[in-house]
Amino acid sequence: MLSLVKLVKGAIALNWRQLLLGALSLAIFVSAWQMYSWYLNANVSGYAAYVPYPGEVAEAFVDSFVTPAGTDGLVMSDHIIASLKRIFMGFVIALSIAVPAGLLMGSYITAEGLGMPIVEIFRPIPPLAWIPLFLVVLGYLKGPAAIVFLGIFFPILFNVILGVKRVDPILIDAAKTLGSKKRHLFLKVVLPYTTPYLMTGIKVGLGIGWMCIVAAEMVGKYGGGVGFYIWDRSDIGQWDYVFAGIAMIAILGILTTGVASQVERRLYAWMGMK
Amino acid sequence: MDGHEVDIRMEALLKVFKEETREIVALKEFSLDVGDGEFVCLLGPSGCGKTTVLRIVAGLETKSGGRVTVSGVEVEGAGSNRGVVFQEFALFPWRTVRKNIEFGLEVKKIPPHEREAVSSTFIDLVNLEGFENAHPHQLSGGMKQRVGIARALANDPAVLLMDEPFGALDAQTRNLMQKELLRIWSATRKTILFVTHSVDEAVFLADRIVVMTARPGKVKRIIPVALPRPRERTSSEFISIRGEVLEELDAEFAKTMMREMTDASVQHKA
Amino acid sequence: MPKKNFATALILATVLLVAGVATYVVLEQRGGDDENAVYYVVEAPSNMKGVLAANHIDGYIAWEPFVSDAVVDGVGKVIEWSGEIVPDHPCCVVAVYNSFASDSEGQDMSARFLKAHMTATDWINQAMDDSDSADYALLVDIAVEFTERNESVVEEALEHMKFHYAMDASFTTALENFTDMYMELGLIAEGKLADGGYSNVSDFIDKYIDGSYMAAAASIEPSETILNPDSPIRLGFLKGDIHQLAQAVGKSDAVLENGKSIFEEYGLNVENAIGAPFSNGGAVMDAFAGGYVDIGYLGSPPAILKHLNAEVRTSIVAQVNSEGSAIVVHADSGITSLSQLAGKTIAHPGTSSIQFLLLKAALQWEGLELKLKT
Repeated sequence: MLSLVKLVKGAIALNWRQLLLGALSLAIFVSAWQMYSWYLNANVSGYAAYVPYPGEVAEAFVDSFVTPAGTDGLVMSDHIIASLKRIFMGFVIALSIAVPAGLLMGSYITAEGLGMPIVEIFRPIPPLAWIPLFLVVLGYLKGPAAIVFLGIFFPILFNVILGVKRVDPILIDAAKTLGSKKRHLFLKVVLPYTTPYLMTGIKVGLGIGWMCIVAAEMVGKYGGGVGFYIWDRSDIGQWDYVFAGIAMIAILGILTTGVASQVERRLYAWMGMK
Repeated sequence: MDGHEVDIRMEALLKVFKEETREIVALKEFSLDVGDGEFVCLLGPSGCGKTTVLRIVAGLETKSGGRVTVSGVEVEGAGSNRGVVFQEFALFPWRTVRKNIEFGLEVKKIPPHEREAVSSTFIDLVNLEGFENAHPHQLSGGMKQRVGIARALANDPAVLLMDEPFGALDAQTRNLMQKELLRIWSATRKTILFVTHSVDEAVFLADRIVVMTARPGKVKRIIPVALPRPRERTSSEFISIRGEVLEELDAEFAKTMMREMTDASVQHKA
Repeated sequence: MPKKNFATALILATVLLVAGVATYVVLEQRGGDDENAVYYVVEAPSNMKGVLAANHIDGYIAWEPFVSDAVVDGVGKVIEWSGEIVPDHPCCVVAVYNSFASDSEGQDMSARFLKAHMTATDWINQAMDDSDSADYALLVDIAVEFTERNESVVEEALEHMKFHYAMDASFTTALENFTDMYMELGLIAEGKLADGGYSNVSDFIDKYIDGSYMAAAASIEPSETILNPDSPIRLGFLKGDIHQLAQAVGKSDAVLENGKSIFEEYGLNVENAIGAPFSNGGAVMDAFAGGYVDIGYLGSPPAILKHLNAEVRTSIVAQVNSEGSAIVVHADSGITSLSQLAGKTIAHPGTSSIQFLLLKAALQWEGLELKLKT
């Protein structure tokens, strides 16, 4: 079991130079932002209030966790939990379908031949294109979850297929000469070999999942969520809070994929694969 | 056969590979008997089909004709009575040394404590004490092949099939591993069919050296090595056998070279 | 170990499945358990009928024609018209972007636009007086084209609102009330009034409503020529919102006998702004801020919210309509009154909409709380 502390330490274990450059890059960004806000205000731009100062956003960010909103009585953490719930739901369903499907399609030419045309038809369609249909047909919960599902499903599926196909044939040979039957080959060689690939799929999928959930929440405005929060605040023109919501998504996205790629890296290392 | 019982019998093996436009006859009329407990090296120019012979015996490759029996039983696919050691080691990267060695025992559903006893024995035999819980990527090439040998032996096969097992190692490690293999062989008395392209290695290890012809591969000549072990590479007997084998081989190398050049010119014209 | 391996795979699969089903069950629960709460979701009015028919919600509040659309189709029934909640409540307004009307030319254009708006509104009311008249038939045609709904929906919808432009004392009071409600809800921070240079709510509404253009419009005469051929007035309005029928009538060249549109009659070149028709009033205000819209039709609440919160400097120059929204439930449901909505899920068009305020107020008076469905 990987402890969180270990993960954080791993992230910090980058060298100082990198940290310094990172801080500098962030400082440049914030100064540019600050100056742009100044510029808009000085020129009495019509949308000066739409680009609040970094300080105002920071204040709103803190306040969003403390002061319940007048409309729904929720604070930011409620919205985060709501988004996480939907992601989790789409994730679990994607995992439980994509993994078996990927194993089958990677292992059997017939399964691949049957599955690929369907996959290839649906894969190029951005998950968000389904929002209007899904919201009416599947409703407010299953709809957004289905969007997330589509976002996560394909990266997992393709990575699992890739993993199965990349299984070193010499390992299959070795297992055969050690007395393995087909069942053993699958459980003891194909399945473990595919695990790191699955983790890569999960990492990529979670990144896409975040983008999907935010968009789905902005269209299917139900039960909160960070996407909903952003939409709701923009609807009433509280742009400092809108930016706080956007920052929250950035943080959550970085955390999710950051943790996932740490897990991925360690998994590859532990399994002794590339 | 030096009075040995026959352990591996190959009769008139035929192997034809089908490519898009042509068929390649890799083996033709290949026959060979290997006695129980015997150490036989297969030697031949590259592409002569020596690895194909080994893979057919292992059951990893189908034959186009002929017969193979091991301990009197006809070979039908891979099985645990023939242990294989691969040039690429073929260790499971996610398994520890011990777990790699226990793989075949797991498949056989041997209870854990028995497995552990067996794997410990072979870890000792190949001198890997202290590395039981290491993963393959933490090991050197020589150590990896020790695991490969232990893993094959742990299954208690009748024969050990080795496909250029030391081909990926540096010269010093290679020499050391050859000595180690002889020690392990003398401890276990397994029948060994050993594929190599190194004449030196074959003369150092084998009871008999089987020199194969260029494609289509068949037995060109069998050269017994009657030297006592441990063999001295600098001894005049060693050097004379080495010369004899080299001579046989050179003729086949020349054939291969000729054919490759003709192939190239044909392709060039096309 | 094969057994153990297989068992691990089995356990993993089971855990995944149970987790999935559990999440599903937990999240799938409709509404909540609070007996004194009505749960809400936010939905675009054009989707509401479909979502109601698919049984994802128990009811909704929306503007016309999205009320009559469901009623005529037999999907929904009205339990309360917005005029029953707050009689004569103002709804949509005409707003002018301040920087557009900053010079005498812009002021003249705005006055002319108002003259056209008033003429169109008068024509609508005159047409509606006699439903057998040719004008009424033309009005229905224009409304059908604008709302993309059929005649029976449009005719039904027209019955449920009042078209007028005058800004009387009750209009002012209502806008003050809206502002007060937003401030009580914390949706407008206290400091925002002072930021805008207003001493209190009535001072704000007093300054926000600008009657000068309507006064100037009284003396506007038709113009032979188009006065702004190269710089058309960029008009913002909402998609299919029948409340804003006046601007559709103003554009129609079938209303006047001379073949000109009402806008052209008063010398105006009017075009749809980039992004128009907009999905809600908040979007119209954003387009003002972005500099894409000169004059817009939108609900008064988003005009108030974004004027203060996002400093979108506009002026309210005329009314467009009052009433014309309703709470709709399933046609076959037993619900006949607001109090029966307890525990149910209702969709509204968004926090900035007047429908949200009406729903919130109506439920409050019934002792019910409006809660986001989780």
